[in-house]
Amino acid sequence: MAYPYTHEKEVRVLSRGWGDPRTRTVEGWKAMGGYTALEKALGMSRQEVIEEVKVSGLRGRGGAGFPTGIKWSFMPGEKKGPHYLCCNADESEPGTFKDRELLRWTPHQLIEGCLIGAYAIQAEHVFIYCRGEFFEATQVLARAVEEAYEAGYIGKNILGSGQDIDITVFAGAGAYICGEETALMNSIEGRRGLPRVKPPFPAAVGLFGKPTTINNVETLSSIPHILNNGGSWYRQWGTEKSPGTKLFCVSGHVRRPGNYELPLGFPLEELIYDVCGGFREGRSLKAVIPGGSSVPIMSAADCEGCTLDYEGVVEKGSMLGCASVIIMDDSTNIVKQVRRMVDFYAHESCGQCTPCREGTQWLARILLRIEKGRGTAEDLDTLLELGDQMTGTTICVLSDSAAAPVASSIQKFKDDYLALIRRGEKVGAA
Amino acid sequence: MSDSKKMSGSGEIPFRNPGWAGNTGEFDLTEEQVRGLEYVSTRPTDGGHPAASATYPYMLTERTPDASLFQGPYLERYEKIRSRFPTAQGALLPTLNLAQEVRGHVSSDTMREVAALLGLSDAYVRGVASFYTMYNKREVGRFLIQVCTNISCNLCGGDEVLAAFLKHLGTEMGETTPDGLFTVTEVECLAACGTPTAVQINSRYFENVTPDDVPALLERLRSEVG
Ligand SMILES: Cc1cc2nc3c(=O)[nH]c(=O)nc-3n(C[C@H](O)[C@H](O)[C@H](O)COP(=O)(O)O)c2cc1C
Ligand code: SF4
Ligand code: FES
Repeated sequence: MAYPYTHEKEVRVLSRGWGDPRTRTVEGWKAMGGYTALEKALGMSRQEVIEEVKVSGLRGRGGAGFPTGIKWSFMPGEKKGPHYLCCNADESEPGTFKDRELLRWTPHQLIEGCLIGAYAIQAEHVFIYCRGEFFEATQVLARAVEEAYEAGYIGKNILGSGQDIDITVFAGAGAYICGEETALMNSIEGRRGLPRVKPPFPAAVGLFGKPTTINNVETLSSIPHILNNGGSWYRQWGTEKSPGTKLFCVSGHVRRPGNYELPLGFPLEELIYDVCGGFREGRSLKAVIPGGSSVPIMSAADCEGCTLDYEGVVEKGSMLGCASVIIMDDSTNIVKQVRRMVDFYAHESCGQCTPCREGTQWLARILLRIEKGRGTAEDLDTLLELGDQMTGTTICVLSDSAAAPVASSIQKFKDDYLALIRRGEKVGAA
Repeated sequence: MSDSKKMSGSGEIPFRNPGWAGNTGEFDLTEEQVRGLEYVSTRPTDGGHPAASATYPYMLTERTPDASLFQGPYLERYEKIRSRFPTAQGALLPTLNLAQEVRGHVSSDTMREVAALLGLSDAYVRGVASFYTMYNKREVGRFLIQVCTNISCNLCGGDEVLAAFLKHLGTEMGETTPDGLFTVTEVECLAACGTPTAVQINSRYFENVTPDDVPALLERLRSEVG
């Protein structure tokens, strides 16, 4: 009963139970050593729990890579009212497909992580915000939450510790922007998913105006293992600055796309050619987007010697993001794919900021023009200038994310653009 | 466009399992096990435990646009949901979800009913409902077929899968077939990028779909409604 995509180089910590339906139940999860971390955490002080997570060096898996222990320590120590923990299961970044697996195969791993997190930040209520499309995964999670209530892991006085922690499963309704942390909070409050201006930061004014921490599914799913085995155990994998294992979502033109759990710092080329089986007959590498559609695109040359940790990818001019590695072979029409990504951002912009609302539409129109052979060389300058104006000027970074693939692809694949422009000029397309 | 065609339908992706949300033919699990249905079985209409009474923007193939919204088990479900939020407004999305689950779409009248129930203004509810793409503002086919054409699926032939659905049904995008069964639309990334092309049909995911799989898939859906 093996999960379909496995490779001997994988280190399966979070994904160990995938493909085995038994892990969905409380009993099955306990048989895998589940819920012992919760017991252990409840016997420790909150500071000790946070300290253990700090020692592990775990960094947020939602994209930004912010150290989780430090994020937790921003929460007020003295409690004046309710605190909230939000779990971000809105997974919608193109190229990312790990959280869905964590939800539907190992829901109790996540629940246990949520409970430990809630204990550490003194939250009495956890909202797990699942994207609306995840009907099946959300159902599995909801059933698991119900079971965990029945077993006394969630609710009043959990495991006789005197702690009350509730968990509520929440389904969104189709909006990429609700993955942005403050938009997600607005969405739970029954508003449109509009990102908020920061500061104030969620740790001060968050969900329903109360101190709130928000963490990704994968981040919280890592917590039970760190508590069980200790922060330094987690550091046996990865690099000094990017410790631990990470789920790599590999998609695109490789023979074996899928989720692979590997130590951070894993060589990108080894991932492509060994773990994922390389390309189809006669095809070769053209480009890689290493962290989901929001990060700059890399050329084949950039991939040489690139290691997949937060720092290694930055060195090569991109970002690790949520480690969603999109791989393109030499058959790829880069302009078309960039245009498709920009269409996505134009569709998903919440419309609050002019550079983003207008800019994404402009980018999309100009790119389509170029793709159809009606572009001019000046269009490239316009695209770059637009991208500049869209970067660092808006409430959230969706705007920057839309500009990143455009600027980087013009920089690295200018010939692809020029070929389309020249072809258009030659046939005199109007 | 011809680039991606080479990838699709050519069996180049060794793990193929068309038709349901499994990842591979090598997987020795049943469809129910992969989808989690075996574990979840049938959720009670009243939603079960309040924490787990989450509602979803699509659910039922059977739709009753005129059904009364907040009665019987559905009222119970609404009350459970409401109990999880410090404000009535917080229950807005789950309540809209519930309404869509019952009626199949969220009409202006439905929005008004939801507004009245939660003590919000009609305009406010409309503003929120129109922000989210999963609320159908008008009736759609019994099967809403949403094909992902975002980058990872696109690289592997998403555009061709979409075209195949439209061709076999003879409809335009967003149009419902005359028999009221199918509406096909394009959708943004469904978070199943490793098994392209991903297609969501009502609440279910179908993965690794190629243009060649489309006729059998449509047949399967037709047979489900008898
Ligand atoms: C436009 C946008 C979309 C985002 N989408 C997601 C998402 O789908 N899932 C996620 O976990 N984080 C997403 N994030 C990041 C969150 O804002 C937040 O940083 C993260 O959930 C924090 O969790 P972490 O510290 O565990 O990484 C998004 C951010 C932006 C700006
Ligand atoms: S940058 Fe775009 S998505 Fe973000 S708040 Fe502004 S308009 Fe909305
Ligand atoms: S790109 Fe199609 S599911 Fe992600």
